[in-house]
Amino acid sequence: MTGTRITIDNVTKRYDRVEVIPGLSAQFEAGEFTVILGPSGCGKSTLLNMLAGLEEVTSGRLLFGAREVQNVPAKDRGCAMVFQNYALYPHMSVADNIGYSLKLAKVRKAERVERIAAVARIAGLEGYLDRRPSQLSGGQRQRVAIARAIVREPGVLLFDEPLSNLDAKLRNDMRIELSNLHKRIGATSVFVTHDQVEAMTLADRILILNEGQIEQFATPGEIYHRPRTTFVAEFIGAPAMNLLKARGEGGNLCLASGTPMTTVAHEGEVLAGVRPERIELSDAGLKAQVLYREDLGSHHILLVQLDSGEQMRLSTSQGGANADSSEVFLHIPPDAVHLFDPETQQRIN
Amino acid sequence: MRQGFYSGGWTYTLLVAPILILIVIFFYIPVGLAFFWSFFLERPFGGGSDFVGFQNYARVLSDPEFWSAMRRTLVFMVLAPGLAIGISLILALAADRGLRLSSAARNIIIWPKAVAGASIGVVFVFIFDPFLGVFAPLNEAFPGVWNPRTDGNDAFATILVAQIWNGIPFNFIILLSGLQAIPDTLTKAAAMDGAGPWRRIRDIQLPLLTPQLFLTFVLEFVGTIVEAFGLIDTMTQGGPGGATTLLIYKIYVDGFKAYDLSGAATQTALLILFVGIMVLLQFRLEKHVKYER
Repeated sequence: MTGTRITIDNVTKRYDRVEVIPGLSAQFEAGEFTVILGPSGCGKSTLLNMLAGLEEVTSGRLLFGAREVQNVPAKDRGCAMVFQNYALYPHMSVADNIGYSLKLAKVRKAERVERIAAVARIAGLEGYLDRRPSQLSGGQRQRVAIARAIVREPGVLLFDEPLSNLDAKLRNDMRIELSNLHKRIGATSVFVTHDQVEAMTLADRILILNEGQIEQFATPGEIYHRPRTTFVAEFIGAPAMNLLKARGEGGNLCLASGTPMTTVAHEGEVLAGVRPERIELSDAGLKAQVLYREDLGSHHILLVQLDSGEQMRLSTSQGGANADSSEVFLHIPPDAVHLFDPETQQRIN
Repeated sequence: MRQGFYSGGWTYTLLVAPILILIVIFFYIPVGLAFFWSFFLERPFGGGSDFVGFQNYARVLSDPEFWSAMRRTLVFMVLAPGLAIGISLILALAADRGLRLSSAARNIIIWPKAVAGASIGVVFVFIFDPFLGVFAPLNEAFPGVWNPRTDGNDAFATILVAQIWNGIPFNFIILLSGLQAIPDTLTKAAAMDGAGPWRRIRDIQLPLLTPQLFLTFVLEFVGTIVEAFGLIDTMTQGGPGGATTLLIYKIYVDGFKAYDLSGAATQTALLILFVGIMVLLQFRLEKHVKYER
């Protein structure tokens, strides 16, 4: 099975007078696993539904390979979808659920049975084929939904928050299974989620969407290490990146109060971003009071307040030298600082 | 299993008592009496009765008029629910798809529910009047083609249409609510699987609608047998020539017009048995109803 390259060319979506997607262009390579990530209401599900053909495109073009599909009905687009609430047909057995698309495509019975058995083996559903969806657990149901999607060997696989109805442990397991499955079948996959862990672990590239516009479309590493905007910087990473108003003056990055924070080559007003896990505790440096300490076992998250009033979060390994004190000194390595333009919110360095 | 929040069996009894008393007074006692009287020969103006065993039954069952009323009831029982449910289903499917004007249609379709059966009869007599009604132009072109006052088939059709029209609102509400309870994503999933709108109706919506279809079927079935009375009485009085005399109307005429009280009681007993058998058959059918969602 080979994937289909997806081209989104200046697509817009409007509901009556509300513009959900003002004009979006992107390309998903054949066989690529793209995760569309964004907060609620950012238009990510709308985008997915437009790819699926479940929602009309207001203007612009959608291409699967070289084929224009924006006016092709859902059933003829050759893509399959996995839904958040599984959307299994409750009156059909697992085998019938998986085989429904083959039946509609008039695949012969013998071949149908064979292909159902094959995907059931991949999805770990052997022995459940005669059951009804209501007799299955949540994880099994999601496996049926995935098996139903891949049985037709579609060129495009769409996932609409497929893991968010599962409990935490199952979600971790299913994530790994999905990742392996993708490598095995090679379809172009588009996965919508609001969970950044899913995005970071599954994606070849992450498309971060905010109010219908692309904030950044890059590999997980790039997104984490070089966020293009303050939105991405704050959205990715837990706890979120600290963003402080600062100024570059004579090689120093100074806080609004004038206290030097670290060294920097930039001159003038900036927003300085520092990830909590890059802030180090040391014996001297920026003095801060610990306001709150969260002990997560593997590490601590401290909420601290600098003398000049700014609050920051930092995460520290357990048993650090200052782990229990109420006053700490912070060291911020120069290469840990992300600089953003305060006006445009775009990355500078 | 006894639940924790109601203690004491008397609470249950007290709560159920009012409706039980009403049902006993107005249903079980009359039904029991009908069966009881069907074994007696009742004098028309009171003054005693004589036990006659199964003579009443023998008399009724050998009466050709009973059988023709029975035959008409059967035809009516098949046509009216079939059409009332079929039309409601089409309307509900259309309203559920959110076609243009469907929300306005939803409202309008329910209004006839507020009209009493007898009123419907009066209105339909006017609508189907051979000289003033909707078919009057037809009569001008082909004189005598449509006249429910003299033509038995026309009269039967008139009652049928009125009964169907009366049944549509309720069936429509039940079926539409059933359709709307089917999750949206199932339709989407079926569309992704390659099913067009007709195929989705056949494979997804209808199977998941069986509980509601069954309910409307049972209610319509019983309804057409007994509720048609109001329509017949206001529209045709069983005529012309007995063409619209369904069993329920014949019982009324025999009992209250002809004072054949024993015959009416016997036919009532037979009608109750018939409805009972029909409902039992329907509930055997219920095993195929899919309640899983």
